[in-house]
Amino acid sequence: MGILGKLKKLGHGETGVRDFSVQTLRFWKFLENARALMELAADGREKVAGEYIFDRHYVVSLIDSVVDRLGMMVYDAGVLVPEKGASLYAAHDRLKQAARHLITGPVESAGDAEDPEYKLLADALQWFDDPAAPPEKTVTALMKKAFLDVMQGRVGAGAAKMTSLFDSGNLRATDMDIYLVDLWRDPLTLPVRKRSVAGFNSIPLRHLLMDVRREKTADTGGAAPGKTAWVAAVDEYHLSLNRLGPGPCFRLEALASGYEPSDFIFVYTDRPGLLETLLPRGLHVEAAAQGRIAWSLDMSASAIEKSLAAMGREIFDEGLWAGE
Amino acid sequence: MSQQPLRIMVIDDENIVGKRLKPALEKTGDVVETFEDGETALARFAKQPFDIVVTDIRMEKIDGLEILEQILAMSRQTKVILITGYATVEIAREALSKGAFDFIAKPFKPADLRAIIERAARELRP
Repeated sequence: MGILGKLKKLGHGETGVRDFSVQTLRFWKFLENARALMELAADGREKVAGEYIFDRHYVVSLIDSVVDRLGMMVYDAGVLVPEKGASLYAAHDRLKQAARHLITGPVESAGDAEDPEYKLLADALQWFDDPAAPPEKTVTALMKKAFLDVMQGRVGAGAAKMTSLFDSGNLRATDMDIYLVDLWRDPLTLPVRKRSVAGFNSIPLRHLLMDVRREKTADTGGAAPGKTAWVAAVDEYHLSLNRLGPGPCFRLEALASGYEPSDFIFVYTDRPGLLETLLPRGLHVEAAAQGRIAWSLDMSASAIEKSLAAMGREIFDEGLWAGE
Repeated sequence: MSQQPLRIMVIDDENIVGKRLKPALEKTGDVVETFEDGETALARFAKQPFDIVVTDIRMEKIDGLEILEQILAMSRQTKVILITGYATVEIAREALSKGAFDFIAKPFKPADLRAIIERAARELRP
């Protein structure tokens, strides 16, 4: 039977798994686009530092690439949280217009000491990230808003939907209190009732649980009473870990492919103070009223392994979540 | 005994390239002349050949590939280095098969171009 045939035969629960998987994959695209935007800005900063020779074409291409990538990121956010789509698209349009103005407008006060190409690049970098600019006037501000909108979308109705999906216990591991989703296989096959952490081939999941004690779980369907419920959606190199149920929102994403320029860790939580407890050193943290985002890019295989193992020890320590 | 300075020709229709490259390449005592169009550059070359020609590929009227052919027709020993954008790297590879010495992608550091020029100079003055 082909993929479409299998999808047509899915029952309610399996459709839920498929939707969950599609949302997780969409979020990875969202992160990928955010990362590409940061790399574009880093490239521009390196060039403007003065050592490089570039022409206007480079700057215009850079601005166009940022507009395109930002559009993709906003599209992803609109799919993940449709109710936020209109405001994100409107903000993207305003930034797009500002970019057009940069490219077509007159170059202001480019004195003899400053070449117009270098002035244009400096202006473009300010358009990308100017801490003094009003909210939503810069690319970075819109990226941050999109992140928080997407993460907030997981709270409330989104969280309840996810919790009910896993309540049946079909996707629960037999050797640990965690729900496991194979992002590529589970949406296309009836979920196998018996599954174990040991049976999943996922490098970041293996790192995360390296020092976490596993024991046979009670066959009660849902998570053990009083314990924090987790769901890990994985493939061989990716991990998306979500905390289920009421209490603080927590999300960890990791790519551990062994290819340093692409591997990363991303964390979001709305619980104040949590990141200070559990983050390994070296992660960049952005704080906002709605929550905190932390990430580290370009991580070596050993740094990913150590960081995930250290975080796993903290995350799966029930004491961390006591009283939630 | 110190060597004769190299005579380097830079051709790019983006004024900024010649403006920034000239002082950077002249630091080592070489003689650098810059041009914003191929016609003027070729006319100058016909009067007095250069050791090294650094030219952008994509230019109006005469592009870098045509400049390469005409330069090599006038002086087989001249080393031609092409400047490419991202979109013209394939064309640059093709140019290598037509006799270009090397190519460098924009944006670039003058030091990276200098390294290519030094390799070319070693072939010119073994």
